[in-house]
Amino acid sequence: MKEHNHHSHQNIYKPAVMKIVARHDEAPGVKTMRLEFQDPADHELFRENYRTGMFGLYGIYGEGESTFCVASPETRKDYIECTFRQSGRVTSALANSDIGDLITFRGPYGNRFPIEDFYGKNLLFIAGGIALPPTRSVIWSCLDQRDKFGKVTIVYGARTVADLVYKHELEEWEKRDDVDLVLTVDPGGETPDWKNKVGFVPTVLEQAAPSPENCVAVLCGPPIMIKFTLVSLKKLGFEERNVYTTLENRMKCGVGKCGRCNVGSVYVCKEGPVFTAEEVSRMPAADL
Amino acid sequence: MPKILSADKLDNCIERWKSSGNTVIGPVRKSNISAYRPVEKASEFELDIVLPDLSIKELFFPQTEPILKYAIRKQAIDTTEFLPPSGKRIVFGARPCDASGVAIDDPLFGWDYRDEYWFQRRNETVIVSIACVKADDFCMCTSLNLAPDSTMGSDILLRPINGGKGWLVEEITDRGRDAFASIADLLQESTESPVPPAAVPEKFNLEACVEWLKNPENFESRFWKEISVRCIGCASCTYLCPTCHCFDIQDEGDTYSGIRRKNWDSCSFALFTMHTSGHNPRSTQSARWRQRIMHKFNYFPGKFSLNKCSGCGRCSRQCPVDMGITETLQEISKLLP
Repeated sequence: MKEHNHHSHQNIYKPAVMKIVARHDEAPGVKTMRLEFQDPADHELFRENYRTGMFGLYGIYGEGESTFCVASPETRKDYIECTFRQSGRVTSALANSDIGDLITFRGPYGNRFPIEDFYGKNLLFIAGGIALPPTRSVIWSCLDQRDKFGKVTIVYGARTVADLVYKHELEEWEKRDDVDLVLTVDPGGETPDWKNKVGFVPTVLEQAAPSPENCVAVLCGPPIMIKFTLVSLKKLGFEERNVYTTLENRMKCGVGKCGRCNVGSVYVCKEGPVFTAEEVSRMPAADL
Repeated sequence: MPKILSADKLDNCIERWKSSGNTVIGPVRKSNISAYRPVEKASEFELDIVLPDLSIKELFFPQTEPILKYAIRKQAIDTTEFLPPSGKRIVFGARPCDASGVAIDDPLFGWDYRDEYWFQRRNETVIVSIACVKADDFCMCTSLNLAPDSTMGSDILLRPINGGKGWLVEEITDRGRDAFASIADLLQESTESPVPPAAVPEKFNLEACVEWLKNPENFESRFWKEISVRCIGCASCTYLCPTCHCFDIQDEGDTYSGIRRKNWDSCSFALFTMHTSGHNPRSTQSARWRQRIMHKFNYFPGKFSLNKCSGCGRCSRQCPVDMGITETLQEISKLLP
């Protein structure tokens, strides 16, 4: 599951320069940006190395770098899309950047979702809130080669209708005959014209009851959602080794040196961020 | 026949090495702190000590290291990289625990992504260690399967001969051999036997302690709270440790121009792992101390087959509340069946 580009004799801490070419407000405080490489050599490295699930360090000089996933799929490598919530110093600076502005990117780092192993299988994507971006990267990576996979089911929930991200893509998935989309918002988060489900993701998932038969689940969300959704998946008959998820920890280097992202003996930046639920269950829970 | 380097030839050696472009570095006391610093002459060395207060780490991994300089223009970002400083260096009088401490971190800075700041300095530095004939109550190399005369990480190992007249020369690496080839004429053949290395009693049974650490049941043992309740999270242990490598990346300047730096950081600090959301996987001092011990004796050996500790004992020697690695592993020993 590991693929690495050996960056010998070059400064591993020096980021690439990216231009913001598009910018979109997804939800309150959440933005998506499309970035283009300025140096063709950097772009070439990205093309060679990027696989769905990997992450990057996005930065603004003077503010620092912040870690989040590459939200665009591995089937579309002309650009990078990232979606983030404005919450700290770096993400605030990024949020305040405009089309045409230059920012920095280091990556792609980490391991990936082994989607070749998913060929011929049914796919169940489950995401909560701001965790749709990493899931969306896998979703499009699969939908862009739709004939290689069986049934595709997406269960996505957010606290409120306003908090749902990629609303235009949700509509697109809704319309497709080859995708089953289940949308839900937490009780109290619905609007009068909301026609989809109301309820927490684990509950809605159990009601939808996707079959575990020949199925791989990709689960991304806040820790509390993951915890309860894993219980539901187990009830539905999913084996832990067929459930993939991502861990997100604070990082500075992204390349296994700075020492802060590990959970037990696992360096999330190098051995992750993608893990099976079986792998996660072997990690010390108190360290998550 | 074995060669000795006589103490009164040391000035000639320094001169010779300097004239071939080396910076000569060794234990020097300044402002009452002994550390590895550049010297001009042998009299500046303070060799008759157990070990310098500060470890050798900063010679390869400085407290703060500029990575690049940035300047933001309207349609471009100008960056100038700070390349790893080059320049040949000879460290004379390193302690074997410091030399091995450096070697322990090589695989970490090299796995997949090479940190050239580290390796450039490593490649250009010759480490000439002196086997310890003195030890104090905090020394614990023998508990780590090392010894006062270990050769790990050293390019040359010198063994003191009687009366402080000089040292018996043991060449360990080609790099060491080359550095000493340039002073070959200053060495003398001798049959003198070296002073035996210092006696460093074993402080704990590492293997038994590691078994305890590896048992998942002990991860949430009360022990961690009890041992670390007095930890004030000052990070002295990590800064003084020759093997602790954790760092931060910070920008110094504003959004128009400045310098991006790599700075020492420490797993002792709460902020080290704190997520933007406020969630902190290691939110208590006991979780942080557990991480440090686990990383050194369980996780790191699992990845790189090396203990992440060379037994210098600085963590215990300098701890303001007396709870270094030795104390912790000794307490773990008491829990063993």
